[in-house]
Amino acid sequence: MADRRRINGPPAGTRPPVYASLKESKTGVSERTLRQRQPTELRKFYLKTGMIPTASGSSYLEFAPSAALAAARSNPKSLIPPSSALKVACTVHGPKPLPRSVPFSPNLLLTTHVKFAPFAARKRKGHVRDTTERDLGVHLETALRGAIIAERWPKSGLDITLTIVEAEDDRWWGDAPDSHDASWGMLNVLAGCITAASAAIADAHIDCLDLVSGGVAALVSDDASTAPRLVLDVDPAEHRSIQSACVVAYMPARDEITELWLKGDSSRAALEKSDGRTGHEALIDGAVDAARGANTILTDAVRESIARSFAQV
Amino acid sequence: MAITILAPVVENAAPYNADSDDSLSVASDEDVEMTGTSRPHKRQRLQGESNIATGIVTPGEVVTDDPQWMRGHGTYTTPLSTSIIATVAGTVLKTNKLLSVTPMRARYIPEIGDLVVGRIVEVQSRRWKVDVAAPLLAQLPLSAINLPGGILRRRTTADELQIRTFFSEGDLVIAEVQSVHQDGSASLHTRTLKYGKLRNGVFLAVSGTGGSGASSSSVKGGRGTKSVAGSSLAAPGGSGTGGVVRSRRQVWTVSGANGGGDIQIILGVNGYIHISKLADGAEAASSATENVSITRLEEMASSSIYSSQNEDISAKTRREIARLAQCIRVLVQNGVRVDEETVMKAYDASQEVDLEIGDEEDEDDEWRQEGREYLEGAKAQQILQYVMR
Amino acid sequence: MSNQRQASSASQVPHLSPAELSYLYTSLSLPKNPIRPDGRSPTQFRPLSAETNILPGTNGSARIGFADGTQAIVGVKASVEKTILAADTLDSRSLAQHGDALNREGEEGSAAVSGQGEWVQMSIEIPGYRDDDALPVFLGEMMRESLVGSVAGGSEEVKEMAGGLKGRLVINKRWHWRLYIDVLLLSQPLAYPLPLLSLTTHLALLSTKLPKLKSTGEEDPFFDDDWAVAEYLYPRSNKQSSPSDAPTYPVRPPVTLLVIAVGENVIFDPNREEIAVADAVLAISITRSSDSENMKLLSIRSIDPPSRLTQPGIPNSENVNMLGGPPASSNQSGGQEEVGGVWRPRRGGVQRSVITRMIKTVLQKGGVGEEVIQGLEGVKVE
Repeated sequence: MADRRRINGPPAGTRPPVYASLKESKTGVSERTLRQRQPTELRKFYLKTGMIPTASGSSYLEFAPSAALAAARSNPKSLIPPSSALKVACTVHGPKPLPRSVPFSPNLLLTTHVKFAPFAARKRKGHVRDTTERDLGVHLETALRGAIIAERWPKSGLDITLTIVEAEDDRWWGDAPDSHDASWGMLNVLAGCITAASAAIADAHIDCLDLVSGGVAALVSDDASTAPRLVLDVDPAEHRSIQSACVVAYMPARDEITELWLKGDSSRAALEKSDGRTGHEALIDGAVDAARGANTILTDAVRESIARSFAQV
Repeated sequence: MAITILAPVVENAAPYNADSDDSLSVASDEDVEMTGTSRPHKRQRLQGESNIATGIVTPGEVVTDDPQWMRGHGTYTTPLSTSIIATVAGTVLKTNKLLSVTPMRARYIPEIGDLVVGRIVEVQSRRWKVDVAAPLLAQLPLSAINLPGGILRRRTTADELQIRTFFSEGDLVIAEVQSVHQDGSASLHTRTLKYGKLRNGVFLAVSGTGGSGASSSSVKGGRGTKSVAGSSLAAPGGSGTGGVVRSRRQVWTVSGANGGGDIQIILGVNGYIHISKLADGAEAASSATENVSITRLEEMASSSIYSSQNEDISAKTRREIARLAQCIRVLVQNGVRVDEETVMKAYDASQEVDLEIGDEEDEDDEWRQEGREYLEGAKAQQILQYVMR
Repeated sequence: MSNQRQASSASQVPHLSPAELSYLYTSLSLPKNPIRPDGRSPTQFRPLSAETNILPGTNGSARIGFADGTQAIVGVKASVEKTILAADTLDSRSLAQHGDALNREGEEGSAAVSGQGEWVQMSIEIPGYRDDDALPVFLGEMMRESLVGSVAGGSEEVKEMAGGLKGRLVINKRWHWRLYIDVLLLSQPLAYPLPLLSLTTHLALLSTKLPKLKSTGEEDPFFDDDWAVAEYLYPRSNKQSSPSDAPTYPVRPPVTLLVIAVGENVIFDPNREEIAVADAVLAISITRSSDSENMKLLSIRSIDPPSRLTQPGIPNSENVNMLGGPPASSNQSGGQEEVGGVWRPRRGGVQRSVITRMIKTVLQKGGVGEEVIQGLEGVKVE
């Protein structure tokens, strides 16, 4: 939503120039960093809790740049910048008493704020939350509310703030704008936010049913002739086009999904003959597998933070 | 078919045309009629004939300028003249020498002794605030409820501290208006055994006596609302008087058809309705009323008065409850008043309509069997016709 | 602040007592044959009345109303706009080259420039909500996402729609249409307004016309000022046998359905009370794909079920007022086990099997999705 109280400059004012002549060069179009990982191989990520001492709980999550990206960084052949990797900081404040104006609630009231740093994406974000940020906030709230045991904390509120320091790209920067017909990077951002927020909530010692983690799977087609195939933990910059993608928030202990966001046409997925699943089922299953993978790191990070606090005593 | 999409219906499309008898010329001189003659014409007639406007008056319209009348609700006077001017749109009501205008649609105005169904919206330190569809929230003081334990005792601070264990936000209560304050807000009490927390059933909000459907309702108020007791039934689809009216019995028990068991219907005067399975103990209690001492009675009733646990309710009972709720919705949406007589008629009619349709259709078709209780459209019209009979 | 957010989040919690919630939940979760409070069958929608082309000042418009008085009006307006092609290509010479490159890349040829999702703008106005509250934003994103995402697959017969709605908006390499879809809800929603808004938008888009283009190729566009020859945004098939037949659409705009799961049952078009007790709420966008008769899934979003925020009921065995004595040890975790007839707020998420079943009910042949699309086809769009 546009900021109506101020007169801001044009929102797209700070794009770095990309020189077209270079894009047309020999190294240009083929420069796309292609996926080096196996379809079921996830990216590594770093997760640590308790980074912010003033908050009741906090966490920081950073995805490792994919191998191709790292290579591109060390040996830049093109002026097109390599794709970015997600960096999210999450703080949890609370449980704290609700303000007077709020009516009685028998449950813990959850408030989520997702905010991109102005420099997080290629296109500068304003200081006022825009529609995608609000939309992500609603998704995140849905994901977390299912995991928290809210009636343990009546009459109190919990503020969860996520700052996205660096966001995932929606496409390879060399592609024409909107050649990927949706903001696929948002799905990765949401998955990262869910995992980070879950760690921060555990760090704040709020009762949860299970550690909920986010996972992404997508149907991608790298060339037009073949049918789209299923990959886990997709990096949109590594693929020519993404047909369909799905993010879930998943609780492994209960085998339950608290949040599901699927978009795109999944009907033409290339699945094995023996596979009786339809495209969307395969996508959801894939995303759940990705979330399972993320959960192992999440569990370790929470365990580590407890161990650390024991060591201090 | 899962979805029904209808063409839009133009309601009462005929343009207002006071005294044109030439139907062909309607379109051509419609504008002239509306702006030129109709309003002054009406005023003229009012003053000329009987001195008192009859039928429907609109705000700002002079009801009478005869000084012998006293002004009542819905009117005002100016110090400069003797005329009484309407402030609401509605019908003129004469009570001896008192002139008042009863609005066609207004909020519920509490009166002492009204049986109301309300929803707790706020818990304060010694009282509850209750939504009774009135302009202001009603209050239910802690001192106006029966405390459990069967003995009449003073309210202690312990009771105040655990006020939420009696009624909490969202709970439905049946209560009686004990007093009405200066500002029109009501004080309720539940100091009778038949009052208390409601459970085992469904709630629906329609327009009550001078009440409109509440914001939380799934049924919006029908066309007219304020009903004059004893008014005849309006024609279906006409601008009749819908909603709950004050009547002799606001609470009664229906023996549900199709093995539905006993179902209790509570018509709150404020238009809030609760339909539920008759609680197991209630029958025994009512039959024992005569020969049990008061203290004993308290003990019996207190066992369930603050319960929020539903009893086991069979699917058959649930079906009949849904059917009754639908019947009331049909009545309200078509502007028919809601009381024991009309509800029971509509309920019988719905059974009959079902039987007719059952004969026509293949009984084995399970898909058809489902969703039978949904009574909108053609079924509603059949039911209405039956009620009108 | 947080109160306002509470009301504005995707879940609206009606005040219902635990006893009511329990009654509703147990009624709706009766195996095989749920009893809805208004007597509908699980897949039955509330009857609605619809009309199109009601606003002469728009390119297309529609109105849908429920019997309870809830109405939505959608107006679609289009304007011509200059395409900012590849903002990162600064050199205008290479701009042409870039276009050629794209031409070579895209085998379709004519649809050289693909549309952009941001050419479709959607705003939703709901009384009682600010336009930047979470609910309108969430609803708007949800509907826009499936709209711009619906790419017609392999439909050679309608080359206008090759790139989906976005592709249709391209005039030439330098000009495009911008589409403004304004959704207006006329009363405070009595239920989650998504299905109403989505169906209305669907009809409005079907009735949307764009002026006929007279210019060709890459010249600046100019249009036939005869509105009678204007072309539909969603082209109609010429295979109509007689003019009285309802027109057929090779490509249709998407429809978003609201589906809830209660116990074992899957329920459509839920009202506010029904959503309040749902185990899972999904918004599923579908369309009929042009090449096959099957329903095509476009997007799924889970919506926060409000049942998680409700007040729990107190079983008789723990009710201090029924024991008459001092309060039993208020054991916070004592309420874990389910007691019949006592409401427990839902916790946790949904099983995958439940989600699969919900999707299947929508998509399967002869399922609800197909019936809804058929129902919408029956609406006469002038």
